[in-house]
Amino acid sequence: MENDELGFEEVGRKYPDFPRTIMRKIDTALRGVILSEKALQRAKEEDALYDASADFVGQCGFDLDKPALKVRVPVSAEALPVIGGVFFRDGTYVLGLESVTRGLYSPSGTLVRKGKPYLLDSVDGELWLLDLPREIKLPNGISRGEPMEEVYFAPIPAYFSKKTSRGTPMIKVISSRAPNRITINISDYCHFFKEKLSCKYCSIIPWLLHKGVRTLVNLEDIYETVNEALEEEGGFTSIHLIAGSDPRGVNQNGSHRGNSPYENEVNEYVEVLKTLQRCFGREKIPVQAIASAFPREQLLRLKEVGLSAYRSNIEVWDNKLFEWICPGKAKYFGRQYWIDSILSAVEIFGRGNVSTQLVAGAELAEPYGFKEMDEALASNLEGVEFFARNGVYTTFCILWVDRGSVFYREKQKLPSLEYYVRLAQGINEIRKKYKLSSDFNDYRRDGFHPDMDLVRLDYNET
Amino acid sequence: MFKLPKEVVDLINDPESIKIVATADEKGNPHCAVKDFFTLLEDGNLAFAEEFEGSQTNVNLVRAIWFAKNVELTVRGKDGTTYQIKGKPYKYFYTGPLFEKFYLAAREKWGPDSELAGVWVITPEEVKNETYEVRKKEEDKKHPFFRHLDRSSVRRTKIQNSKSEISN
Ligand code: SF4
Repeated sequence: MENDELGFEEVGRKYPDFPRTIMRKIDTALRGVILSEKALQRAKEEDALYDASADFVGQCGFDLDKPALKVRVPVSAEALPVIGGVFFRDGTYVLGLESVTRGLYSPSGTLVRKGKPYLLDSVDGELWLLDLPREIKLPNGISRGEPMEEVYFAPIPAYFSKKTSRGTPMIKVISSRAPNRITINISDYCHFFKEKLSCKYCSIIPWLLHKGVRTLVNLEDIYETVNEALEEEGGFTSIHLIAGSDPRGVNQNGSHRGNSPYENEVNEYVEVLKTLQRCFGREKIPVQAIASAFPREQLLRLKEVGLSAYRSNIEVWDNKLFEWICPGKAKYFGRQYWIDSILSAVEIFGRGNVSTQLVAGAELAEPYGFKEMDEALASNLEGVEFFARNGVYTTFCILWVDRGSVFYREKQKLPSLEYYVRLAQGINEIRKKYKLSSDFNDYRRDGFHPDMDLVRLDYNET
Repeated sequence: MFKLPKEVVDLINDPESIKIVATADEKGNPHCAVKDFFTLLEDGNLAFAEEFEGSQTNVNLVRAIWFAKNVELTVRGKDGTTYQIKGKPYKYFYTGPLFEKFYLAAREKWGPDSELAGVWVITPEEVKNETYEVRKKEEDKKHPFFRHLDRSSVRRTKIQNSKSEISN
């Protein structure tokens, strides 16, 4: 924490109408959460822990000590604990866990944090988040962190331990980053890395970069895994498709059939959507694509194959900062192109079914970012209001400064807790003003957006 | 933790008793909803199923758990025995074994297209017998002069041909 920053209690007193639980959630993202041995044991007993080491050997390891190699290296025989998620009492997702959560692999042990992490431990038979800097002395003389919030585990989905008929571990085919969500990461490839134009906060290591080709996840594996997951009664409510950006048209080096930007990327979504239509036996399917900015004709293709919702992330609203922080997006094909694409999607998918995201905190990065919290907030909220006026809702995620990213090398810092509280409040007010629903990215279908948690108080109105 | 008397527990566990959840919105406007799936958990907390994420009850419960507000549960048996339980929302589950149990029960009752958003767990803090005869005794003792003068406990005269038009 910087010297002039307000602490948790001070922020709580200054913003009494902001739910403490959501404030704590933001704080878990900023400070991180470590699981004690006792907590891990408890997760095991509650079917909330899965050891995925055998599933990922040779395929899910990053050689973080040699990032220049940019190749996959085998994971050692070490256990790869995947936990089913941790929740505050009200069902809000706890962020900042130093582990693999629901199949979403993030080397979060390498994230830059703010202050001491919370400890997730078992206290008198219940699970609690303990504040380590605020130690208390127990009657037996042992001191431990002060219990802050009671939490609970979510069990891992049953499909995690199954394999497809081709022998692929299902956990590798789809992940479930929030309990009600199926996430299909359809390609690891992001073309921006190839041109050294990655977004500056991005730490996704493009495994296939050296080949320069996209490899689509096997469609039959997707078909079998999604069907298996849907067998889990009451398990899932939405499907999200994710892929890195690929601005190239089809066969750009040879017999190019047309010149539509991002056609490569769209083609992959189309194949996966057709596969999902088979799973549901219906044309329209509850699926959101979290994708690049596609031109209108490509968006129409996605609609035709059943896509229900579309999210394309503007990441940073300020024009100059967008160009600096997202050079790939700026090159292909600039901020106005991304905005136009997002707006045109509203005509196709409908108001409230199109969204965008800010990587909140990136706009404060040095040396070009905003120097003052108020300026940064004003810029973000200007963007949010602009989109809302046009039927698009904006969410934000908390900046990760992770090893592998440009920001990590630059030693960028995280903004304050107060900054995120004000941003969440501001975005929520705008969403309410324009009566925008935001169902695809809410607290239980996504879980990464503190502003979306606040929407729970308006579900009866939007 | 506050322990509910056995009579209340039996009433809660009786599938034929009526269960109502009362909550309040931001401005204090009351909202009541009848709940079908209601149970007492081993740890003494009460759990009930919330069908819809967007219901007024659900929204009010989220506000209650965030800002430590009370909710009220009313249980009424076939014979008119009624209890009112005051408590605070303690947890909300939309995954895990308790949720699954309620989800499957809803499926069984309402069929394959049924919906169930989550399960609320309420910690009871106070219980009150609201059965008519019990309340009458209490009120008569507390406010004897509020009674109508033609009540048999006030005037020892047989009233002939008086027939209430209000059926109960
Ligand atoms: S578009 Fe940006 S954020 Fe997305 S994968 Fe590529 S570099 Fe990372």
